[in-house]
Amino acid sequence: MSDQPMSRPVPKPTAWSQPYWDAAREERLVIQHCNQCATKIMNPKQYCPSCLSDDLGWSESDGQGTVYSFSIQKRSPASPFVGKGPYVVAVIRLNSGVQLLSNIVGERAFDVQCGDAVRVAFEPIPGTDITLPVFTLVG
Amino acid sequence: MKSTAAIVGTGEVPTGNYPNRTEAEAAVTACRQAILDAGLSPRDIEAVMPVGVVMGSRHFNTDLIFSRLCEELGMLRSVKLNAQVMAGGASGSATLKVAYALVASGAVRNVLVVHSDKFGSTTMQQGIDLFATLGISEEWEAPYGHNANTAVALITQRYMHETGTTEEELAAVAVSMRQWGALNPNAMFRKPITVEEVMRGDHVCTPLRPKTMSLWADGASAYIVARAEDARHITPTPVYVRGMASLVTHYSVSQEANLAFLAFPEVAKEAYAQAGLGPKDIHVAEFYDAYSVMPLLAMDAMNLCDGDRAGRFIAAGHTLPGGKLPMTTTGGAIAQGHTGAGVGVSLVVETARQLMDKAGDRQVKDAVNAAESGSGGTWMDSHISILSREAR
Ligand SMILES: [Zn+2]
Repeated sequence: MSDQPMSRPVPKPTAWSQPYWDAAREERLVIQHCNQCATKIMNPKQYCPSCLSDDLGWSESDGQGTVYSFSIQKRSPASPFVGKGPYVVAVIRLNSGVQLLSNIVGERAFDVQCGDAVRVAFEPIPGTDITLPVFTLVG
Repeated sequence: MKSTAAIVGTGEVPTGNYPNRTEAEAAVTACRQAILDAGLSPRDIEAVMPVGVVMGSRHFNTDLIFSRLCEELGMLRSVKLNAQVMAGGASGSATLKVAYALVASGAVRNVLVVHSDKFGSTTMQQGIDLFATLGISEEWEAPYGHNANTAVALITQRYMHETGTTEEELAAVAVSMRQWGALNPNAMFRKPITVEEVMRGDHVCTPLRPKTMSLWADGASAYIVARAEDARHITPTPVYVRGMASLVTHYSVSQEANLAFLAFPEVAKEAYAQAGLGPKDIHVAEFYDAYSVMPLLAMDAMNLCDGDRAGRFIAAGHTLPGGKLPMTTTGGAIAQGHTGAGVGVSLVVETARQLMDKAGDRQVKDAVNAAESGSGGTWMDSHISILSREAR
């Protein structure tokens, strides 16, 4: 394998995911859906995984959900994240039903527990035109 | 499921750091052992099924695909199929399924499955960086600092949340693995440890402590699958495949609908039904680890813990040598060493050794039926197989 240090992984939007990243840059969370069978789709896909339709659209999410699971990365992360820790990786279940991987940020982030309520926030990746949806604990 | 296939021979080289042992040399040695163990001649093998190489050289990976073993071991013009199967850590269960189908269909007699890889010379950071890409979505997961460790940590955390399993119980899994490793001449870690020693290690990522994880190693293992009607003529101790159930659950672990148990509950039920056996019939459990939570999922799903939680059952010592349900008697990836996809293959090999009465100091007395589990990549599939000395 390569001995080159890894660079920070930055999402490379595809033709079908571009609307997600465009919305995130405007600090909006949007979720893909199928116009034929109404399936909510995450992660965004080329075709509907239920009916294989290519007739897909986007709807605005209120960005509210709960923590399905989490881990606090304390040491030994991948090289682009060395010195950036500790940080919280979590699976978020949006109230609309879809799940996504994200970070929990904010001053109480390390108190996170399964089931905690969270709300979306947005963090630009410096030096890129990508903004990542992240989450903060609420209440 | 009628028993139409059986394992008839196994081979394995010691797992650990062997910088001067090439992947090819280890593969050839393990294959030779398996053929001799079965009492076959190389020309009895009609299919060679190598498992994909991850850290060994690309050159060697291509050599495996391009029939090098057939030339090395005298199988030219008798082997009809030389083709790779790769399912990460589930490669033991997956190759067993494919080999079963090949012999059961009549397409070939005697399939030789082999894995050989060199993870041992990987530096810690190289390994972490590699496993921050394998089975991790580039677009949806890697940007958040996600990696294989956090993937299994998400499963572990949710499993603890739903079952009440404690960190000390996760540590007890590692203790069980190390006790078995102490009896395994092919294991990398042969010194027993205590729960306290495991708990003294600071979290890498919560709730994972270093000794509940595994270290990379070089290794190779091989086994041979034959038709059931041939198997009883090949060896006095054929190990029949009685059940093989599996489901692919996700690519991105964030998309897993049952993070606490994956598909182990469904596949356990199906494997029992196929085998015509129940929890009380299982005498040894060769469950995939890599991390301490994974065998717990399989133990719970297969209801092997007398109605108790798997964590509490293991913490009580029931899976240790001499315990009521010996588990992962090689010591698994945690004690034997993590050879990549070979972790799964070595568990199939150990399952067969136990049921052939060839497990040496680890031999579980009077073991008739065994369960084996596997899960690959970022735990994207759940496999349970049931094997037996007795045909159905
Ligand atoms: Zn659809």
